[in-house]
Amino acid sequence: MARVAFERVTKIYGDGIRAVDELDLEVADGEFMVLVGPSGCGKTTALRMVAGLEEITDGIVRIGDKVVNELTPKSRDIAMVFQSYALYPHLSVYDNIAFALKIKRTPKTEIERRVDGAARILDLEALLKRKPRALSGGQRQRVAMGRAIVREPAAFLMDEPLSNLDAKLRVQMRADIKKLQSDLGVTTIYVTHDQVEAMTMGHRVAVMRKGKLQQVAAPQEMYDNPANVFVGGFIGSPAMNMLEARIERRDGNLVAALGDAAVPLDDETLDRRPALVGYEGRDIVLGIRPEDLEDASLANGDGRPRLTGRVEIREALGSEMLVHFEVAARQAMTDEVRELAEDVGDDRMLEQYVSGTQPAVATLVGRFGPRSRVVEGETVEVSIDRRALHFFDSGTGLSIA
Amino acid sequence: MRHTALGVRLLVLITFAAFFIVPVVWLVLAPTKSDGALVSHSPLSFGSFHQVWLAWKHLDAFSDHIYRRWILNSLFYALTATAITVAVGVPAGYGLALGNFPGRKVILTLTLVAMIMPGAALVLPIFLELDALHLIGSVFSVILPFSFFPFGVYLAYIYYATALPKDLLDASRVDGCSEWQTFQRIALPLAKPVVALVFFFSFVADWNNFFLPLTVLADSKQYPIQVGLSDLLSSTPSFNPAQGGGGQTVNIFRPELALATLLAVVPVAIVFLLSQRSLVRGMLGGAVKQ
Repeated sequence: MARVAFERVTKIYGDGIRAVDELDLEVADGEFMVLVGPSGCGKTTALRMVAGLEEITDGIVRIGDKVVNELTPKSRDIAMVFQSYALYPHLSVYDNIAFALKIKRTPKTEIERRVDGAARILDLEALLKRKPRALSGGQRQRVAMGRAIVREPAAFLMDEPLSNLDAKLRVQMRADIKKLQSDLGVTTIYVTHDQVEAMTMGHRVAVMRKGKLQQVAAPQEMYDNPANVFVGGFIGSPAMNMLEARIERRDGNLVAALGDAAVPLDDETLDRRPALVGYEGRDIVLGIRPEDLEDASLANGDGRPRLTGRVEIREALGSEMLVHFEVAARQAMTDEVRELAEDVGDDRMLEQYVSGTQPAVATLVGRFGPRSRVVEGETVEVSIDRRALHFFDSGTGLSIA
Repeated sequence: MRHTALGVRLLVLITFAAFFIVPVVWLVLAPTKSDGALVSHSPLSFGSFHQVWLAWKHLDAFSDHIYRRWILNSLFYALTATAITVAVGVPAGYGLALGNFPGRKVILTLTLVAMIMPGAALVLPIFLELDALHLIGSVFSVILPFSFFPFGVYLAYIYYATALPKDLLDASRVDGCSEWQTFQRIALPLAKPVVALVFFFSFVADWNNFFLPLTVLADSKQYPIQVGLSDLLSSTPSFNPAQGGGGQTVNIFRPELALATLLAVVPVAIVFLLSQRSLVRGMLGGAVKQ
């Protein structure tokens, strides 16, 4: 077991693309670190540099206290779980799991003891004689895990290990891997593009974008205090609503004006974000999480700021209701917002971005109580929980604090 | 209209099938007849098994059992050269497909060029080369050129470049394999179908090669079967009237010749059946999620 550290690690490919750009990240001994970001953000490249499968262009990778830049994968004492599982098709489950131990010339009895142990933990005992092709997706995934844990390595590297499983199994395996990691206490770097996995599994989460580290924090901390527009929009589902707003002074008080509505900035907000005062008269990006929007008729007149909108779609999920509604305000259009739209394949948003035509209406998503009586096509009064608003600089995208 | 079309199609198929099959049937039936019967009887008639036995005795007696010697020579040349081809060609294809070294593209192109060059075109320069090395007339003069089989390298290259998931190799590296162990324990066992294919093609090419051994070997005791057959042919009175009798004990006529050619095909058929068993599909099933 050991810590893993990236020190200004850079990867430049032959074609000049900076896949990873001066990554500084320290994963503590026994920590479960999740690297998350949209495809092409460099998270897998970073992982493969730790494994020794990718050359490091610049910077230092340490495992324990050892600089491993020049070491081959075999001398790094790490185990990796591949997205494709990469099971050896000509070997039985037993031999797949035992493979690394055999290469290391571990005594036979010791191999048996460890493989049996891993098989018990992963519920593979009945499958040991089978070949990979005779296994289901979930079973293959568990064999890939087994291959990693028998090694008792300094660190686990996992490259989107659950992305090929169906949704239900993924939830199950998510919990299993998390438990396994905490039982074994092995330092783990887990790469995923799924922000739900990031939120639920990691002790800490590192968000990457275009090769650059955006923020490292515990999941809840990251959710509550995203460092910039990108992190705010990437973490959380449904995504944070991003609106163009203008900080103005009305009747002596600062407000965030969006369209024809204005959200007053109370003292609590200004105490937490003193820099907001300096933005008077300037445009900012206002981020509102869906759960901070509520059907005003359920929020029984608590004096919160309100928006008026027209309901487009309501999705009743039983315990809550997701409501998409249009308000007279502008969607924030920064590079980050565009990239997030690209990542989820939001063509409508992209089209607006490319054509530069921003309609004066923005569609917001609210997470309303299940008893909301909103009707599609009709107007709705929405109250905003202003304690949880997020403010970002429209130029830099950074959180204003 | 539809019937006519079908009729035309059948007619074409049957004509061509007959055109190609009749000579084979004739050849298979030839050793069952005496040389005279071969001409006087119906071309597709069956003689007797006794006649086959007689033909074999004549053939075997030819030049002090030299027919057996030729077959053994061919087996020796082809198997040795094929073993070298597989041992060298498969790792070479692997290296070209997955390695990253200067000159990779050049070597690949040269392999392709060598592959499409007709073997006979190289016989003269190879002869001169072997002569310079004083190898003419030795077994190496056959085995060394036979072992040069760029098509085998190319087959292995194609397989490794397209069919083998790179993740498997990465997984084995992370699991502690050296580059050689990765090849030996993962890449090679998974290439069984390609090894079988290279083995088969190389064996057939070596077995059937006529011109090179004819050029570099002098002693008929060293001949492989293909060259031997032509020797046999020139001993057959019907093909070479100069041999026609004159108190010689040569009993080689057309039935003996037909038998000799048929027997020369048997080893190839056996190698085909053996390698075909390894050409199993789905070797890679379950390796990676597609």
